[in-house]
Amino acid sequence: MFVVLRDLLRYNSEFLAGILMTGVVVAMALLSFVSPYPPLDQFVAPMDVPPSAAHWFGTTSRGQDLFWLLTYSIRNTLAFGLLVAILSRILSLSIGLLAGYRGGWVDRVLMSINDTFIVIPLFPILVLFYFVMRDNMSWVMLAVLTALLGWSYDARLIRSVALSLRHREFTQTAVFSGMRTHEILSREHLPFVLPIVFSTSLNNMNWSIGLEVTLAVLGFTDINRPSVGGMIYWANQHSAVVAGVWWWIAFPVGLVVMLFIGLYLLAISMNEYIDPRSRLERGGGRKE
Amino acid sequence: MSAAMRNPAAKPEAAQGPVVAVRDLRAWYRLRLFGVDREVKAVDGITFEVRKDEIYGLAGESSSGKSTLVKTIAGAMRPPLEIVGGEIQFSFMDGTMGLNRAPADLVERVRWRHLSYVMQGSMSVLNPVRRIGTSFFDFAFRHMGLDNAGFEAAVVAHLARVNLPASVLKAYPHELSGGMRQRVTIALATICRPQFIIADEPTTALDVVVQKDVLAMFRSIQREMASSVLFVTHDMGVHAHLTDRLGIMYAGRLVEEARTPDVFARPRHPYTRHLIHSLPRIGDDRPRIGLEGTPPSLANPPSGCRFHPRCVFATERCRVEVPPMEQVAPDHRVACFEKDRVEATP
Repeated sequence: MFVVLRDLLRYNSEFLAGILMTGVVVAMALLSFVSPYPPLDQFVAPMDVPPSAAHWFGTTSRGQDLFWLLTYSIRNTLAFGLLVAILSRILSLSIGLLAGYRGGWVDRVLMSINDTFIVIPLFPILVLFYFVMRDNMSWVMLAVLTALLGWSYDARLIRSVALSLRHREFTQTAVFSGMRTHEILSREHLPFVLPIVFSTSLNNMNWSIGLEVTLAVLGFTDINRPSVGGMIYWANQHSAVVAGVWWWIAFPVGLVVMLFIGLYLLAISMNEYIDPRSRLERGGGRKE
Repeated sequence: MSAAMRNPAAKPEAAQGPVVAVRDLRAWYRLRLFGVDREVKAVDGITFEVRKDEIYGLAGESSSGKSTLVKTIAGAMRPPLEIVGGEIQFSFMDGTMGLNRAPADLVERVRWRHLSYVMQGSMSVLNPVRRIGTSFFDFAFRHMGLDNAGFEAAVVAHLARVNLPASVLKAYPHELSGGMRQRVTIALATICRPQFIIADEPTTALDVVVQKDVLAMFRSIQREMASSVLFVTHDMGVHAHLTDRLGIMYAGRLVEEARTPDVFARPRHPYTRHLIHSLPRIGDDRPRIGLEGTPPSLANPPSGCRFHPRCVFATERCRVEVPPMEQVAPDHRVACFEKDRVEATP
């Protein structure tokens, strides 16, 4: 594991940049556990103070320290992205692999469901759910909904790979040796699609975080739970830009952009480790 | 030795009989596309048997139905390929309907353990993202009935038999050379010491030097285990080198079958003659006479003898009647009405 990490860092500058950027964001999120301010307390700091030694990222018009508030926000936003990614991976993997391997009516049924989800407009549906559920809309609920809406593209991608795997000799040998469908899917085909899964799950995190930020900025989520989008929402409510409180918008936006880029770089560099062929290519033929 | 230990019920006389007997087997691809029915008669009335402790070769040009035949015997067929008629009888299994109609639990017990199958394109039998050891575990563990340590010891011992170090178990397929991969594949197919091995063009992708090594290895393993092999390739050199008996296929039918040296020395069927005479010989630099025409479409094969449109000996009878396989000498069968005339012609 250590050797793998060392080599990735040595041979892969994208990985280095990605891990640094994601690392900073994750460190921010972890700092929330030692925050001196409870996240929901207001008017505990002077209002509208620009970034300074006492308040690194300045303070908001509601008397909150921006740095410590941001630690909570990014933690919640990360947790949301992670939950969506995990839930939607489970869906897209099982549906994509099964549809591709079994083919026939299984494929037709699963893919017609899949295509239905692809053409459904996600954003209005999420807004609709917010208006129906209002105060009952917890972040976990929103994550489950987003995952239910966010698996379909990747399921199709995984299915396309499974379709080709199904005709390979090793699949036929596996069938011949008496392996059951679930064993073939989990032992023979899953390792094959893992690079795609890794890359798509990091991209899926980006997508879901982007969606959550958008919803939150517009006020279609639980606005009292600190999140990056929620912070921008409150900043807008207080006309932060007009009032010259630029840091209230700049730091959350900057941090979430950093998370996006970091995750993206990790996604592309992860592929190289997981796919042993491209790993060798990058390492100049060296093998550890 | 170990085969007898594993199957104490096997009687000596049963051991002398064929390991697999195929009778009048017909397997067609049946397609129904946009209201058009198409039947591709890839295997159409084939009868032959593979005896104990022999390598039976199956030769024929591309699309003559070789692979379809072995797929059918191995029970590794998928729609649209289906068995239309005929029988497949294995010595290690009751019933005459072959693996395709046998109950699933019986098929599971027989495959790999008694019958193993080296697939066409066996260079890609190994999953490229799994280590060799894992592939062994995935494919063979359930059939061996050993615990983890015993299984690993058995695998390492068996790899030594094909001159591979135990370290290949930790390697990925792309880290091995073509010959090593081939030997891994053969080790994988023979680890359970099956009575019957089907090998479908296992050495086609290798260069001749490696091929010779691999074939010698294959031969020695087969000798040691006294198992029977059905070996398919269009490479006549491989057949001459390896097989005991040889069956020649043309357009979905068996046209000639004999001991391998006899096929090369005294071919009786016109197609076999053309096939053998087309082979290059050292010191003989006369140009080879090509065979007119192309292999027939199996969706719409010629009537009667399927070779008649390309055959110089063809008569009216060949156009109408299907010639049966007839014994012309011990261990020599030919399906040709004009076999005497063919033999009389130099």
